[in-house]
Amino acid sequence: MRDEGKEIPKKLPGMIVSFADMAWNKTGSWRYLKPRYENKTPPCSAGCPAGEDIEGSLRLLAGGKILRAWALIKIENPFPRVCGRVCFHPCEAHCNRGEYDRSIAINRLERFIADAATQKNRRVPKPKIRRRERIAVIGAGPAGLSCAYHLTRLGYPVTVFEALPQTGGMLRVGIPAFRLSREVLDAELAELLAMGIEIKTGVRLGHNLFWTDLKGFKAVFLATGAHISRNLAIPGEDIPGVYRGLEFLGQLNSGQKISLGKRVAIIGGGNTAIDVARSALRLQSEPHILYRRTRNEMPAFNEETIEAEREGVEFSFLTAPARILARAGQVSGIECLRMELGEPDESGRRRPVPVKGSNFIIEADNVVAALGEEPELSYLDQEIKVVRGLVATDAWQRTSKLRVLAGGDNTSFRRTVIDAIAAGKKAALAIDCFIQERGLEALWPKIQIGANGAFSMRQYLKIKDRGKTRSAEIVNLSQLNLDYFAPAERIKRPALALDERRQSFKEVNKTISQELAGQEAGRCFHCGVCNNCENCYLYCPEGAIYPQRTGLGYRIDYDYCKGCGVCMEECPRNAITLEEEER
Amino acid sequence: MTRRVIMGNHAVSYGVMLARAQVIAAYPITPQTQVVEFLSEMCADGRLAAKFIKVESEHSALACCIGAATAGCRTFTATSAQGLALMHELLHWATAARLPIVMANVNRALAPGWNIWCDQTDSLAQRDTGWMQFYCDSNQEILDSVLLAYRVAEKSLLPAMVVYDAFYLSHTSEPVDIPEQEEVDAFLPPFQPPYFLDTDNPRTFYPLLGPEYYMEFRYQMEQAMEKALKAFNEAGTELKTIFGREYHPIEYYRCEDAELILLTAGSAASTARVVIDQMRVKGYPVGLMKIRLFRPFPGQELREALRSVAKITVLDRNLSPGIGGIFAQELKAVLVNSPKHPAVFSFIAGLGGRDITPQIIQQALEITLANDRPVAHSVWLGLQEEMINK
Repeated sequence: MRDEGKEIPKKLPGMIVSFADMAWNKTGSWRYLKPRYENKTPPCSAGCPAGEDIEGSLRLLAGGKILRAWALIKIENPFPRVCGRVCFHPCEAHCNRGEYDRSIAINRLERFIADAATQKNRRVPKPKIRRRERIAVIGAGPAGLSCAYHLTRLGYPVTVFEALPQTGGMLRVGIPAFRLSREVLDAELAELLAMGIEIKTGVRLGHNLFWTDLKGFKAVFLATGAHISRNLAIPGEDIPGVYRGLEFLGQLNSGQKISLGKRVAIIGGGNTAIDVARSALRLQSEPHILYRRTRNEMPAFNEETIEAEREGVEFSFLTAPARILARAGQVSGIECLRMELGEPDESGRRRPVPVKGSNFIIEADNVVAALGEEPELSYLDQEIKVVRGLVATDAWQRTSKLRVLAGGDNTSFRRTVIDAIAAGKKAALAIDCFIQERGLEALWPKIQIGANGAFSMRQYLKIKDRGKTRSAEIVNLSQLNLDYFAPAERIKRPALALDERRQSFKEVNKTISQELAGQEAGRCFHCGVCNNCENCYLYCPEGAIYPQRTGLGYRIDYDYCKGCGVCMEECPRNAITLEEEER
Repeated sequence: MTRRVIMGNHAVSYGVMLARAQVIAAYPITPQTQVVEFLSEMCADGRLAAKFIKVESEHSALACCIGAATAGCRTFTATSAQGLALMHELLHWATAARLPIVMANVNRALAPGWNIWCDQTDSLAQRDTGWMQFYCDSNQEILDSVLLAYRVAEKSLLPAMVVYDAFYLSHTSEPVDIPEQEEVDAFLPPFQPPYFLDTDNPRTFYPLLGPEYYMEFRYQMEQAMEKALKAFNEAGTELKTIFGREYHPIEYYRCEDAELILLTAGSAASTARVVIDQMRVKGYPVGLMKIRLFRPFPGQELREALRSVAKITVLDRNLSPGIGGIFAQELKAVLVNSPKHPAVFSFIAGLGGRDITPQIIQQALEITLANDRPVAHSVWLGLQEEMINK
């Protein structure tokens, strides 16, 4: 026993204690494993095509910092109000809480945060245009505007050319108001345009705008969407009273009057079919969806299908149209064939096979064919490659023609709002890297989130993520210490009562209250991210962790840390990594 | 002073409350649970300003008390049977660390077969852990023993166990005088440990202790037991001046002219007093020694008290397999070197909660009276011999 200057008494003490402290014994020298705080990637972020820092915004929300939560989302996604309403929220499918009890209602929280910021009159500030290279964006839908938004924030002067008289693209023409109110859409679009994005509507490439007109632009982003409805290819398609899905929704959404009969048959199983059916219901008709496969194979978002069922839309599965019937020049019904499921096709879904002689008739006053859409690509320059009806791009939205990029519904069969937003964001990144002559491939690992193509604009902008970069490792449920969590009920989604829905096109889903939002955000595990819960400090048997916050986590006194790993074991969220000591 | 009709378990709770315990950690086990249940209520409603720690096992309960006592707190836990057995490792730890933790142990039989009823083997099996053990036979004695336990424990820096019989005392209600807080405060000043966890004066507690010092610390512990015996007598006397009740290691009942002494511990002593009275009426010169203090064992006092007695009947509600009743063994051990010591007649009765009736006690005394020397190493009373496979 060393005495460190203290006198050792001649008699033993009454208890078994040392005479002096043991600070001289730097037990850190025994360590062969070393803990360090390391934020990892939460699966929600990796599941979001736009790479939103969901964990971070929920942490801010739970702490009552709603505007900071909003700002964090806005760095990655210009459309949180839209997405909070219509996104199919793949983040929730990836949420670890889903395997534990039920996933966090991230979509609802995004809507709450974004609506709250609007209510508080918060807008994205107008960025300073400090670059001279002009960028052209073709198409003012979610992909085009996302690209324009990010480029503007990066300091570029951007001009958006839109063929239709109004901006919004598929958000405006394809999504009915009961899912996304026009006020919300207009407000969020207006906010973007107020940032200084130049917009030219009624300008269609190949029609009143030509490639030669684009010579003055340093880069061009093609975000022209997919607006051509597929044909039914059965007799009777041209009979008056037969609509195409997108045409129907477009007319409805632009305020044109549509005269519908009582019985409306909708052919198809995608989101357009569901949107048409639910719209028809609100126009006091009786919609009936005919789908050639079963409920399981429907490509529509399940949540929307459930709502359609609850609202009273009729479904006939394994039903394929053979011929549209007419009486007095008007639609009177559809002759259908009963189908059965055969072997899986290239999409992995079982192929529907007609049952011979099973013809039957469904009476209908109108037919809406909602079989999906294809991009219109006749305007393309010959140098730009097209594969399977889509503009071919690399992982960063670059086409085969230098300085021309493309993204959104014209480059992918994943026709979702968030995928379009993500494509626009990635194109902005690729354009900035091209102009600044940065090697995108080398840079990518530093900014990517997960392996599905998402990246962090925040990282790219080198905004400090509390001093550290997150590791690319995605934290799964088994890596969390579940002893520290208790089951907690997911919030119930407030929605318009069923009997009110037929009366108007009012939004079905409602924004949750601040109280519910805080409660739901409190359910977040914060997978892989240190939220300063102090557990490591409480459990360190050496007392080598000090409750002093550093950029990330707390101060570890490595003079005494023995590398026992208790801090890592007891970290509820896997934000501490144990590494072999290098000596 | 307030008089209340309360059960033995709640007598403990009142004692702990009046002792102003600061940290209580416990895990529930029948028949102890009511003790800490009541204490948790007291902590919740503010009657007792203690930290109540819920734990996942008795091992953890005692570990919490060890930590808190090392920090200088007055601590308490309670348990029974399997729970006490699970604490075994930490029982040793508490003693050698010299922590005056007080515990209530309700004597319950050990499993298997599962049995929640009275049997003293659980606490007696812990005799070598260095804990003081105070055996009670009334609810008043239970409350007073908790106060005594803290006083003696903190004086000697040894942990103490207050021990009483399952159901006969734990769940039976009796009138109990509950002293006033000021009275208790006068008897039991705040705990002032010589060393405690103190960030301003860092020390290592319970470090490696090699052969060069280990024996000395063990010797100091043994000396502390002697000190505790003295402290118990002093405190037991002082208690009389405050509460009007007196406690000593051994309680004598009609022993002055007795030729035959019955020695027992726990609630059987209450029954024995009745039997002694009845035998006295019939003219038998019998007396009762109720042994209150098992550790430290009052050997010297026993030797002197039994100097002129020819025979002693020991009634054990416990069993050390292979040797018999534990009180009988202990008594034999302290008497063996006395040149003329009484013959020790050992009886075992009432295991696993079987009643020790006046008839059983009378039978033990009659067997002792009828024989010059013990007829067997231990005689089992009330055994259903016809049911036993021989």
